[in-house]
Amino acid sequence: MPVDHKVSSFLPFLSSPKLLPNESGAEFESGLQSLLSELDNPSPLAVALISQLNECLWWIKRHTVDKELLLHEAMARLLSKAGSYSETYDNRKVSEVLERYLNGRADKDEAAWIDEILSESKLTLSDLRIRAFKDAARHIKMVDDLIHRQHQTIRHLQRSIDSIDYKSRLIKRMDLELAALESKQPVKGALTLDDKPS
Amino acid sequence: MTTNHRRTLANRCNALKSTGPRSVAGKWVSSQNSRKHGLNSAPDFESSLEYQALVDLIAEEGFSAFVCADIAAGLLNYRRVMDAYYDTYTSPEPVNEFMRDMSVKGSMPIFREMLSASGSEPDDVRDMAAFFAGMQRQERRKGGPVSRRTTDTHKLIRYQRNGIARLSRAVRQD
Repeated sequence: MPVDHKVSSFLPFLSSPKLLPNESGAEFESGLQSLLSELDNPSPLAVALISQLNECLWWIKRHTVDKELLLHEAMARLLSKAGSYSETYDNRKVSEVLERYLNGRADKDEAAWIDEILSESKLTLSDLRIRAFKDAARHIKMVDDLIHRQHQTIRHLQRSIDSIDYKSRLIKRMDLELAALESKQPVKGALTLDDKPS
Repeated sequence: MTTNHRRTLANRCNALKSTGPRSVAGKWVSSQNSRKHGLNSAPDFESSLEYQALVDLIAEEGFSAFVCADIAAGLLNYRRVMDAYYDTYTSPEPVNEFMRDMSVKGSMPIFREMLSASGSEPDDVRDMAAFFAGMQRQERRKGGPVSRRTTDTHKLIRYQRNGIARLSRAVRQD
């Protein structure tokens, strides 16, 4: 059975990949295909497990991005607290502008605004990042736990795939041995009949 | 009237007084009681169509009927956990921006105006401000959307651990 057909026969049971709006389905698929290509003629169950493994790798990617986003969130929070530009907390505005500023997409006014808040609070961008790291440490630790969990899951899946692979090889070997024995059987029988003294 | 009956009556009278949370904070807390991911309920995979089809497919690989059933249940259970993981990740508790960004100090005149109609004491205004300040602290402590989804997803780690262990055990038991 070709690999694609095996995947499609399993997909209805395993849910099609759920991607976020900004994620590429093609990238997800190419990851899956490259994992599948590492196995010689994988069984349907191995394909199912490999698709789970691919999803784990995808989750690791997502959580790694989250670590950076957590830092940005904390930076925005600190800037909001530090700035005397407004009486209210107004985190969303700072957060959006800071995101553009860090990605280099902020316009002149926005960049000047962030620079002004930074100088008001007597901070450089790297100072702010260090403080933000301290502030978001609890959540960053949680993301690390989530990534670690995905690694553990991958290890479990790899062991399961190895076990299936070994089992199928064992069955193939036993089949071959059985076939060899069966092919020898009539010859043996003929010899024993011939050897009988008349 | 027996003591038992008196006690029952007293209990019922007292129960009438307990009509659930009365304060706004209490009502808010109890409104969150039903937030569940559904992973604690016992799933019934055996009666689903997917289960039988999955068992048939796995059986083609030479596993015994017992192992096939175990693997199919393990696989469906793992999918259930990962679907809940995705749902939790994509729909975290929304940020109450009004509560987070409001200026409690700046809102004091509004509180005063609201409470003066019912002839309240100055202490009541302070209590109301303290209540809102507490809610605001709680809201800010939860952080932004990324922090919230991280906290919520982190709670599902143990379900994922149990799910993958069950699946792995089922596949390797032969």
